[in-house]
Amino acid sequence: MAQDPLSLLCVEPFFPGKLGAIADWLVRRRGYRIHFFCHQVDAQEMWPESVGRGLDVITYNVGGVAKEPSVHWSRGLERGLCYAYGAWEVFDHRRLRPIDVVLGRSGGLGSTLFASVSYPGIPRINIFDYYYRPHLYDVTEDRAGDLPPEYFLWRRSANAMDLLDLENEVTPVAPTLWQRNLYPPEYQDDFTVLYEGVDARKFVRASERPREWMGRALPPETKVLTFVASSPDYLRGFERFVELANRLMRARRDVVFALVGGGPVSRMLDIHFHGQDYVKHCLEQNPLHDPSRFWNLGACSPKVVSDLLSFSDLHVYPSRPYPVAKSAVEAMSAGSVVLAWDSEPVREFVEHEKTGLIVPGNDMDAAEALAVSMIDDAGARRRIGLAAAAVVRERFSHDACLPKFAMLCDRLAASSKT
Amino acid sequence: MHVLFIHQAFPAQFGRLALELAKVHGWRCSFLIEDLSTCPTPSQEMLDRLELHRLIIPDEDRDSTPTPWPQIFGKFLGLARAVYEGVAMRPDLRPDLVVGHGGRGSPTVFLPELLDCPMINYCEYHFAKRRSDISYRLDMPPATEVAPFFPKCINAPVLLGLDSMDSGYSATRFQRDTFPERYRSKIEVLFDGIDTHLYRPRKDVPRQLAGKSILRGTKIVTFVARGLESVRGFDIFVKVARRISRARPDVLFVIAGTEQVYYGWDALHTGKLTFKQWAMERIEHDPDRFLFLGHIEPEQLAEVLCQSDLHLYLTVPFVLSWSLINAMACGCTVLASDVAPVREVIEPGVTGLVEPLFDADQLADTALKVLDDPATYAPLGQAARALIEEKFSLETCVPALKNYFERVASAGKTRRD
Repeated sequence: MAQDPLSLLCVEPFFPGKLGAIADWLVRRRGYRIHFFCHQVDAQEMWPESVGRGLDVITYNVGGVAKEPSVHWSRGLERGLCYAYGAWEVFDHRRLRPIDVVLGRSGGLGSTLFASVSYPGIPRINIFDYYYRPHLYDVTEDRAGDLPPEYFLWRRSANAMDLLDLENEVTPVAPTLWQRNLYPPEYQDDFTVLYEGVDARKFVRASERPREWMGRALPPETKVLTFVASSPDYLRGFERFVELANRLMRARRDVVFALVGGGPVSRMLDIHFHGQDYVKHCLEQNPLHDPSRFWNLGACSPKVVSDLLSFSDLHVYPSRPYPVAKSAVEAMSAGSVVLAWDSEPVREFVEHEKTGLIVPGNDMDAAEALAVSMIDDAGARRRIGLAAAAVVRERFSHDACLPKFAMLCDRLAASSKT
Repeated sequence: MHVLFIHQAFPAQFGRLALELAKVHGWRCSFLIEDLSTCPTPSQEMLDRLELHRLIIPDEDRDSTPTPWPQIFGKFLGLARAVYEGVAMRPDLRPDLVVGHGGRGSPTVFLPELLDCPMINYCEYHFAKRRSDISYRLDMPPATEVAPFFPKCINAPVLLGLDSMDSGYSATRFQRDTFPERYRSKIEVLFDGIDTHLYRPRKDVPRQLAGKSILRGTKIVTFVARGLESVRGFDIFVKVARRISRARPDVLFVIAGTEQVYYGWDALHTGKLTFKQWAMERIEHDPDRFLFLGHIEPEQLAEVLCQSDLHLYLTVPFVLSWSLINAMACGCTVLASDVAPVREVIEPGVTGLVEPLFDADQLADTALKVLDDPATYAPLGQAARALIEEKFSLETCVPALKNYFERVASAGKTRRD
C-alpha cells in the first residue's frame, strides 16, 4: 500500500516555479512529505511557507551544453536532457525512499524523463504547459511577417521533450482545456485537465482602499489600473497597456496606472526583444502622456503584488494567446475587474461582463470604451469583481483545484502498489 | 504526378520504386540525397532517368562519426534543415507529394514551411524501451552509462516525424507495430518490393565465390548482414558455425557484410577490435572454412545466395533485412531466429525454419539436419520463392505503393500545421 500521507518527489528547474505552490499546499493541507529537486532557487521571499516543514529543497547541477548561457536552437533538447540527467544524478546519489509519486513539469529544461531509472514503477505525473504550434498563438498571432524563417523551424522542433515525456509513461496533466488541445490529437485523451489554482487566501479585496500607497497619494476618486508580468513583454501585450494608459490619461484625470514587473525579456518566444528592456522600448516608442500617473514599480515581492491587486479597479490583461498568467487569476481573486484581450485561453477564465471584460479582437477603441465604462460604473465594478472572486474561489483556487490533484496522486500511488 | 523522395542515400529504399514509377507510369521522381549509396550502388538507368539533387550537409551534421546520445536530436535537426534549404533553393522542386525516409526521424519536418503538398513518412522503426532491438541482447548487457537513458530519448526525431506527417507507411507489420499504438492508424504496411528477376533460383551456376572455385560436394552456409554485429546475431552465427563445422568437415561458411557496427553498443564490449574480430577470436576455427566477402553488390549477392545450401538469419527483433527476402527469393532454405519480424515472412516448416536465437545448439542441430538431407527441406525454399513472388516482388509492391501515393496525394494535406 502507498503510505498515507504520500511522499512525493518534485522536479522543476527552478524553485518555487510552478510546482512549488502545489507542493506547499499538499504539505500543508494533506501532510505530504515532498522532496523538491531543482537547479536554481529563487529569493527566499518567494518561497512557500512549508519549506523546511515537510518540503525539502534539493539542488542539482547540470553539465554539458546546459552550462552554456545560450545555445543554438537545434540543441534545445540536448540542453533539456542535460537537465534531466543532472536531476537523475542527484536522485541516484540520494536514493530517497520511499517515494510514492514523481511530479514534474515538461518542456524546456524540465523533465522527469530519467526519474524512472532511479524510481522504476513509481508513477510520474507531468504538467504540460505549452505545445508549440508553428504558426498559431503567442507572438505569431500578429507578428508572423516580422519573424525570420528559422524561427518557425525552431517552433517545429521545440516540442521534442514533451513528446518524449508523453511516450515515456507519464500521466499528463494540462492546466486548461485550451492547453490540452494544443497537443496532437493522438495524445489529448490521455490528459487530465487540472488547473493548479491560485492562493485565494492571499488575494482578497481590501476592505478599505488606502489613501496612500508606497509613498504615493491615492485620492478616493482615483481609479487604479494595473498590469502585472514578471518581465513585461510583447507576448503579454505590454505595448497595448501603454497605449491604453496614454489614451485614458489624455481623456481623464482620475486614473493612475501601476506596472509590476521589469528587467530584460526572459521568454525565448520573442526573439526580437529577448534580453532587452521591453518596458523602456515601449515607453520610448509611445511616451507617457503623464508620467506622474504611471507607477513603474519594477519587480515586486508577492506581498506588494497582492496589496496592489487588492485595490486595483481594473486589471489590464492584453496578452497574446498563451497560457493565462497567474497574475490575471490572482487579480480576479482580489476582486479586480480584469480587462482581457480576447483569446481562447482567456475565455476559460473570464466570462464577458460577468466575471470580467473581454476586448474583441485587437480593438483599442473597444478596449478604451470598456475601460471607461468600468471606471465610471462603481456598481458594475463591484458586481463583476465579486463574481470574479467567487469564481476563483469555486473553480480556480488552490482549495478548489488541489484536492483533485491530491486525489490523482493518491489514485496513482495506490494503483502502482496493486 | 511529381514525387520528391528524400533519403540520406540513393538508391536505397526508393530508387528502384521511383524508377518503376518513372518508367512505367511516367511520373516525375526527384530525389534529395546526401550521397550515392555503395550498398547497393545506383544503376546507370536510375542515374539517367531520375532527378538527383545533392544536399549540402554541414560537416558537424554528417553521420560519419558516432554521436553522443544527447546530441542525436540536434544532428537530426541539422539534416532536416539541410533538406529545408535544399528545397528552398530550388523553386522548380514543387512536388505533388513528398516521401521522406524516417529511419532517423523524418527529414520532412520543416518542409511544411515551404510546401503545401501532403507528406509521407517512411516509418522504418520506433525503438523499444526494453527487450527488443538494441536492448534485446541480454547476454551482452549494454554499457551501463548509456543503457538506461538512450532508449528513452532516441525516438525524439521519430516522434516529431509522426506529428508532422500526413501519412506513413512501414515495410512490415512488425515495423508498423513498433510505433506507438496511437499513431498506427496513420501508418500503412507496404513492402518496398525486391527484384525477383535478379534474386531467383538458378540451376547450374558455376560453383565459384570471390574468384575461387568451390570443391564439388562442399556445402555452403551463408550469412548476410549490412554490418557484422550483435543485433544481426553475427556472434551467434559464429557459435553455430563452430558446431556445424565440428560435425561436418565439408561446410564452407560464406559471409557478406562490412565490419561496421550500425546499431547498439558492440564497440563497448569489443574494445579496439571490430565485432567480427571479437566474435571470431572467441572460438577456435579454421580460417579456411570462413569466406568473408565484405560488402558486395546485388548481382554478386544474388550469385552467392543461389549457391547457398542453407542461409542463416539470426536477427534480434528489429527491422527485417532485405537480405532475408533476397535469400527466400533465391529459393534458399532459411534457418532464422524465432522472433516476431521473422515470423511475418517465415511460416515454420512451410517457408523456412526457425529456432530460438540464443539456442546455438538447437540452431546447429537443425542446420545439420538440413545439410544432411537437403531434398527433404528443398520444398521450403520453393515455397519461400513463391511467397516472395506473390507478396514481396516489385511487380506486387510497386502498384500497391503507387496506389497509396495517389490516395495520399489526392486527399491533400491533412496534417495539423
